Amino acid sequence: MDSLGALPQVLFSGLAAGSVYALIALAMVIIYRTTEVLNFAQGDMAMMTTYVGLAFMVAGGMPFLGAALAALAFAAVLGACAEFMLLRRAKEPSVLGLIIITLGLEMIVFGFASWKWGGEPRDMTIPLAPTDVTVVGGVIMSHLELAAIAVAALVIAALFLFLNRSKAGLAMRATQQNRPVARLMGIRVRRVEMGVWALAAVIGGSAGLLVGPAATVEPYMMWDPMMKGFAAAVLGGMTSLAGAALGGAIIGIVENLFGYYVSTAFKSVVPFAVILLMLAIKPSGLLARHYVKKV
Amino acid sequence: MLDKFRNAAAALATGLLCFAAPAQAQPAALAGVTDTEIHIGQWGPQTGPAAAWGSVARGTAMLFQMVNDAGGIHGRKIVYHMFDDQYNPARTIAGVKELVEKSPGIFGFASGVGTSPGLAVKDYLMERGIPWVGPAAGSLHWITPPQKALFALYPLYADEAKLLVRHLVEKEGKKKIAILYASDEYGENGHRGAVAEMQRFGLAPAVEVAVNQADRDLKSHVLKLKESGADAVLMWVNPTHAVITLKTAAALQFAPQWAASSTLSDVPLMQTITGGLWKNIIFASFSELPDADLPEVKKYRDAFPKYAQQGERWGVFFMAGIGFVEPMVEGLRRAGRNLTRESFIAAMESIRGYKGLMGKVSFGPGERQGQREIFLARTDDSGTRVTQLTPWAEVK
Amino acid sequence: MDMKRSYYEDLRLFSTLPLSLWLAACAIGALAAPFLFGNYLLYVFGYIAINVIVAIGLNILVGFTGQISLGHAGFFAIGAYATVLLANAGLPILLALPAAALIAAAFGFLLGLPALRLEGPYLAVVTLGFGLAVENIFAKAAIFGGATGPAVPAFDVAFFPGFSREQNLYALIVVIAFAALLAVRNLMRTRTGRAFVAIRDSDVAAACAGVDLTWYKTLAFAVSAFFTGIAGGLFAFHLGQVDPTSFNLMLSILFLAMVVIGGVGSILGPVLGAVVISLLNLKLKGLKMADFSEIPLFGPDIAAFLGRYFMETGMANIQFIVYGAILVLIMLFEPLGLYGLWIRAKRYWRTWPL
Repeated sequence: MDSLGALPQVLFSGLAAGSVYALIALAMVIIYRTTEVLNFAQGDMAMMTTYVGLAFMVAGGMPFLGAALAALAFAAVLGACAEFMLLRRAKEPSVLGLIIITLGLEMIVFGFASWKWGGEPRDMTIPLAPTDVTVVGGVIMSHLELAAIAVAALVIAALFLFLNRSKAGLAMRATQQNRPVARLMGIRVRRVEMGVWALAAVIGGSAGLLVGPAATVEPYMMWDPMMKGFAAAVLGGMTSLAGAALGGAIIGIVENLFGYYVSTAFKSVVPFAVILLMLAIKPSGLLARHYVKKV
Repeated sequence: MLDKFRNAAAALATGLLCFAAPAQAQPAALAGVTDTEIHIGQWGPQTGPAAAWGSVARGTAMLFQMVNDAGGIHGRKIVYHMFDDQYNPARTIAGVKELVEKSPGIFGFASGVGTSPGLAVKDYLMERGIPWVGPAAGSLHWITPPQKALFALYPLYADEAKLLVRHLVEKEGKKKIAILYASDEYGENGHRGAVAEMQRFGLAPAVEVAVNQADRDLKSHVLKLKESGADAVLMWVNPTHAVITLKTAAALQFAPQWAASSTLSDVPLMQTITGGLWKNIIFASFSELPDADLPEVKKYRDAFPKYAQQGERWGVFFMAGIGFVEPMVEGLRRAGRNLTRESFIAAMESIRGYKGLMGKVSFGPGERQGQREIFLARTDDSGTRVTQLTPWAEVK
Repeated sequence: MDMKRSYYEDLRLFSTLPLSLWLAACAIGALAAPFLFGNYLLYVFGYIAINVIVAIGLNILVGFTGQISLGHAGFFAIGAYATVLLANAGLPILLALPAAALIAAAFGFLLGLPALRLEGPYLAVVTLGFGLAVENIFAKAAIFGGATGPAVPAFDVAFFPGFSREQNLYALIVVIAFAALLAVRNLMRTRTGRAFVAIRDSDVAAACAGVDLTWYKTLAFAVSAFFTGIAGGLFAFHLGQVDPTSFNLMLSILFLAMVVIGGVGSILGPVLGAVVISLLNLKLKGLKMADFSEIPLFGPDIAAFLGRYFMETGMANIQFIVYGAILVLIMLFEPLGLYGLWIRAKRYWRTWPL
């Protein structure tokens, strides 16, 4: 049963699962970097995006890719609205206060989606069937898994290009580093913050659109990926995008290794043990720079 | 100085006044029954992680509406009190206590999803002698020890597991059976029953894999199943996990004989959400199949469009809400116009071989497990047609 | 602000006479409840009181010491399991409760150790992991009863000869809740309490002033866990059973919401928050489509619109929307929570008619 021969397969599966976590981690890190908010509503916003995509496919008769793009557009609007209506209105928010606001948002989104579509699981059929696989050197790679990895890689690359090579990305980085000065330099920081939330919602939504076809679409679908994504973000350092991606991959792989070789029962807890060890050695995460607190 | 004391005195007086509320009205001598009404309650997860099972309580609503429309029971209509407990025992207790203690009280409880919520209220109900029929969970807790007012219907999960294993070994000739089970009471019950039955045949499970409720990534689970070389896999999980398992297995080119518990017996649902992978699955069932051509099923299926809420689906859980409560309605009928708790219990005990949507139900003095029979069925290659493999039979 | 004229005044448990009278009135009312109310209301009050104890405990950590914890359901679970297991092993219930709370406090101490170097999201994740780990271990390990949980022994502590079991349990819960309230009030006036607040305001400055960060941070976790553990033990008896899956992340979030909604850093705040959230939890049951039709003027149109676009079977989910909206609105309009609203009201009347 235990065989080192299965190791490549386990590693690949871990990487695929980790790609989804990485996407959520990226979304959370983007928001945290710029607005210092831990967005606990990330998972359920992604869930809602998936439901909307499903609605476009079923009721609107659109093909998957079209429906997915429309759903991501919806996600952008949702993220922007959330920032505009909720986060911006908070007066003198404390860290905890902001967390509670995002939790409240999460409940509203969850309630809304459950009310509209009900609690029964639904199917999301995409052009990639579960049996579409490519076998490379003994490792069976399903096309859905490859798609997850590809999407994650694409998003990371696109983010790097965007943040480092485009004006909007420059504006985002400036806002993150020093908000008042960025404002003085003529950057419309409020618009940037709205854009950040929209971007994060789109990235999170893409994670949801990857989980939906692999499992079922139901209100609780993103709870577990969301927690793992959050853990991945912390593991990588809440301010580093590369860290978020790396964190996601590590958690996915560690989880699957533990699940296969040791026990599936405690699979969900092991990533946190890893994080604890990591944080004991380097408290600010893997790739973040340790900012010394000014008194 | 005087001011301070005056303020303090006013504060104290208002404080004490707040608590001078009148005492609660005590329920009538025969709670829940008036000349024209019988009050029956049910808890259910209308929201929360188990919301898919919320249709059980709604099925009971349809049954009671049909009974009322047909004239009620001996001139009394059933007033149905359904509340959402989110599968959270704290809420179940609150809801049950509220219904029981507020006038006009509750005569009895019907069904009710979940072992934990049910266990939380069991002692409270039994201490007061409040009848409870058909808990929607196949747990041993309802009948060990048997309670005077608790009439269980759902066949035991362990019995289902036994029957499935027996069929796999004897009829399908499988020797390496693996078990995939949920980490909760439901999964563990099935797990234990399966292992016990395998031991009877001198076999050991190829591998036993536990699944957590929130897990969405089951790749390591399926890999373990595959690497164990199992030729059959028992699935004791919820529908979403079954879907993920089948899809992952299809990708990993692992194709054992799948055997599923009764919670996965809703074939149309499973066929849809697995995207067509629900082929050649052997499953256990405690109720007639949703699209069966039998009169007792058609009676409700034909009435469904008229009574059901928009968005409801005619599936196994909805039917369970009807099937687990039919014996209670029968008991109410047999108790006659002079309805008391004792007459109801005596009436329930007199039920022998009652057949409704589920299997045959029989109670008796001291016998509180009403239904013991289940049957096995198998989906065909298209995943839509179902052939019955074994007749309705008790598991010995 | 009231000016204090002597050191003794600063240390007083109750700063004004009306306050102590109010508290006495509440205490009398709470203890008189078994004579006035039936089982159901006692159950509700007991549930609220248990949540009050947890909120007070969590507030010590979150409000007064400025840490964050997303895993307090873990301490709640440890308290519940330890109480039940100790009571099953033969310990009298009144001893099992504090013993279990001490065990929870020990785990709190352990959790406090990583907290020394972490803050913000990092600490949040570690506590989250703790909560998950506890939930998983209790659900799997056979010695803890597996997925069903251990059998809870009958509650046999008698306060008054005529009281039923529920009334005795309620009395115990209320007594412990008031004791907790007084204990925290007292704690905040001691050196330890001041050290906690100093850490919250600036731990670097506190260290410079001589506050031993290691000791006080871990102590904050331990004390907070102690209160939560006792509440957990009481909860096990209140519910009559222990179900491992109920001590999940949602519960931790609920506890945090109680403290933040009520108002961090005050004593009254968590109490108010616990009351509001407990009532929301128990009272928000499903609405029916028919309820919408009863809205005057637009009712039937709203019902028709909802019927076309929303699933009637999912109607009960409105409670999540209401819950979330309450959380958001309170935080948006009053960052200090319900306590902040209370202070505003008081200030308004005090300075009226200005």
